[in-house]
Amino acid sequence: MAPAAGGSIIDPAVRRRYGHPLLRYILIRLGLSILLIWGVTLVTFILSNLVPANPAAAALGERAAADPQVVAEFNRKYGFDKPLPVQYGRYLVRLLHLDLGTSTQTHNPVMTDLRTAFPATAELALGALIVSTVLGVLLGLVAALRHRRIADQVIRVISLIGISTPTFWLALVIYFVFFYKLGWFPGSGRLSTDFSPPPDRTGFYTIDALLAGQWQVFANAVSHLVLPSSVLVLYTVGLLARFSRTSVLDVLGNEYVVAARAKGLPGRTVVLRYVLRGALLPILTVVGLTFGSLLSGAVLTETIFAWNGIGQYAFKASTTLDLQAIMGVGVLVGVTYITINFIVDLLYGVIDPRVRTR
Amino acid sequence: MAAPVARVSLKERGMNRSIKIITAVAAAAAVSWAVTACGDGNNGGGTSANGQATKTLTANDTFDLKTADPARSFEFTGGTVVHQLYQTVLGFKGNSVKDLIPQLCSYTISKDNKTVTLTLDGTHHFSDGSPVTVDDIVFSFKRLQGIKGNPSFMLDGVDVEKVDDKTVKLVSKTPNPQLPYILPNTSLGIVNSKQVKAHGGTEGTDDKAEQWLDGHSEGSGPYELESYNAQSQVVFKANPHYDGPKPTYNRVVLQNVDASTQKVNVQAGTAQLAYSLGPDQVKDLDKSKASVLTDESTETIFMWFNMDPQYGKEVSNPTFIQGIRHAIDYSKLLDLAGTGAIQPGGMVPVSFLGGLKSDPANSYDLAKAKQLISQSGYSGQTISVLYSEDVSAGSAQMGDIVQSVQAQLKAVGVNLKLNPQPSSTSLDSFRSGKMQAGIAYWGADYPDPADYLVFTPDQSLAMRAQWTTARGKKDAKLAAAASAANGDAARSAAYIAMQKQMNIDGPFIPLFQPASITVAATSLKDVVPNPVLGISFGDIH
Repeated sequence: MAPAAGGSIIDPAVRRRYGHPLLRYILIRLGLSILLIWGVTLVTFILSNLVPANPAAAALGERAAADPQVVAEFNRKYGFDKPLPVQYGRYLVRLLHLDLGTSTQTHNPVMTDLRTAFPATAELALGALIVSTVLGVLLGLVAALRHRRIADQVIRVISLIGISTPTFWLALVIYFVFFYKLGWFPGSGRLSTDFSPPPDRTGFYTIDALLAGQWQVFANAVSHLVLPSSVLVLYTVGLLARFSRTSVLDVLGNEYVVAARAKGLPGRTVVLRYVLRGALLPILTVVGLTFGSLLSGAVLTETIFAWNGIGQYAFKASTTLDLQAIMGVGVLVGVTYITINFIVDLLYGVIDPRVRTR
Repeated sequence: MAAPVARVSLKERGMNRSIKIITAVAAAAAVSWAVTACGDGNNGGGTSANGQATKTLTANDTFDLKTADPARSFEFTGGTVVHQLYQTVLGFKGNSVKDLIPQLCSYTISKDNKTVTLTLDGTHHFSDGSPVTVDDIVFSFKRLQGIKGNPSFMLDGVDVEKVDDKTVKLVSKTPNPQLPYILPNTSLGIVNSKQVKAHGGTEGTDDKAEQWLDGHSEGSGPYELESYNAQSQVVFKANPHYDGPKPTYNRVVLQNVDASTQKVNVQAGTAQLAYSLGPDQVKDLDKSKASVLTDESTETIFMWFNMDPQYGKEVSNPTFIQGIRHAIDYSKLLDLAGTGAIQPGGMVPVSFLGGLKSDPANSYDLAKAKQLISQSGYSGQTISVLYSEDVSAGSAQMGDIVQSVQAQLKAVGVNLKLNPQPSSTSLDSFRSGKMQAGIAYWGADYPDPADYLVFTPDQSLAMRAQWTTARGKKDAKLAAAASAANGDAARSAAYIAMQKQMNIDGPFIPLFQPASITVAATSLKDVVPNPVLGISFGDIH
């Protein structure tokens, strides 16, 4: 069948009947995302309540837990005095109003806690992701192009070390060497104690400091990002380098690359326009998943560097049976993963024209 | 057919150039990233971002912070925070838990130990400049009682009455000689009643002032809140209306830092105080940079057995428990707990009034242990031992302690089966009263032996081991006598007698008290940790 005008291969009649395929795709994905988030809340709620303990006993002190009046007040305050289906129903209603309940540990609305913790982790993860993506893809590309040569072997070893080094050990070593021994970078926390956080707009200290014109605070916030980001970079760069190498190797064997070269195109053009573009789809998937795992799984790095982000918050919530906080983190991580996957899927369409017209 | 990879030639100049360009860009990015980062690497101090001169003290702690509302605060970090912000009616002198001193008030106690009279002492002002009044004291105490929070029990059964503009009476229905020792607790901090009421504060469960108090301190202590984040840090600034000496450090930053990095921070000089280091971690501390302040903690680690044969089975026999008391090598447990740990003679900490320093009933004697265990009729049955796997005591994890006890009891033919649980579930299991045995811990709510009456027959802790008055008649009588005793000497003697009897037929074996360790930079002077109140930042020079 001949391609339709504008390069699309879709029959205009079909397009009229079912709408633009990309729009339809987005709507379907949005619908599925809502279902997925509901599933996340249900699974988290069931699992949290399967734990053979009651939150009042975990949150109250010895004396208070022995006082029925105090326990009753605690259960009333947090809604634990209602049957589980009612509790879940109320949770869903509150969720529609973006209310995730109140933490039994911090006594804050969970949304407020997440509003503080999430940007801290996102700022850390984003910096690490940008650096590791650039380095990882570059190393993977070099390794693939120099397949089975010394550069390839060296990069493979480096990436293997990055992946297999325990994060907590790496974090402690980096902290000890670059903060304590060499004094090149500041230690724990997001800012030195001489500085107050910038006015809160986004929760990202770097961005908020820039918006407020506080250059010293900005420089300090950036300097505090270096060491914890480096720990995350060393792991993710190894991962991305390996995926990039494999992906590029797959593309290099394709006929269109050979054809491009046979047509006499310059090597740079072949690599950037044909090889890299073709290899980007699987790399993009891994980058998306890596970002998701950085957001939810940087617990050890956050612990060593006193970076009170989402990982620390989730860990504390789970050890203290803070049900609302556990569910809040579950929903947030679920939404984050779904959103990232959604964005990655859309980027597929941007990178690969075949996806747009499917 | 796909072309073999080997056919890709890198000798093509263009391709080589691409790699070089990408490499150069990446290298430049990395260098600029590092250079930017190095711009402010050192944590100096001296001036704030807004240019005002400050002298900042930085303290590291592993937070268990929930709130800065004194009437709700009941955790270690919460106590540290509240202690800097709020004054109490009475205080403790230095690191003593016995010597009471006036803070906002002086006091007298009636002969029958039922009435404590507080007299407002001198002039004190809240951080907004308004004076502390008797109405503030009455409101603070009634609010503590009414909101039904964690520390509300401290004033259980106490009527709070305003007598005049200088005097408050605390009237208990039964003798309450421990009340003066409860009053310095940070949870009894006095709040500015007008401000707290204006922000939702009441004397009932409908109180809504917590959120306000988590952002704004309403106390008369040496500091007021600059900022509060329960997850990352709390910043204090000097209270200009404080009636005492002006703090040397007009700004204090209390940071939530994992213990693994606190040591490095103190040695690097970015923190001057570290709260969470264990005995093992401070062993090789650079003494030129930091000093270790070791004190007796107010925690008691103990082993317990269920006295109800339905749940305890063979361990419910007091003779068996006596045998176990002699089968444990306490010195090995002290080694595990690290420097500064001690073995108390009873459940009451040694430094408290009525603390028992040692008791032969709890001493290592293998022959005696074997004889008593054999006499009890025990014949190798497996005993399930509950404990919190995520709790540490001194240098040791609870799991290490339980495993050591397991190995020691194996030598006398007693088989323990370990039942580790996270704290969130183990406490609930313990409270059920249906577990066979366990190892647990108890931290003092206030420094008076009356806090340990919960371990006597029919009381809350004892009932977790099903220790009823019927099973401990002598102990119940001695507990009643101790509770009614009047005067320090008589009370001390009564509590010691009670603990000695508990060591004969009770279900609790005190194992050790871990040390309380604070690490302070050598540049600091007058750092005095009080076992109950912690450190007053305002006293540090």
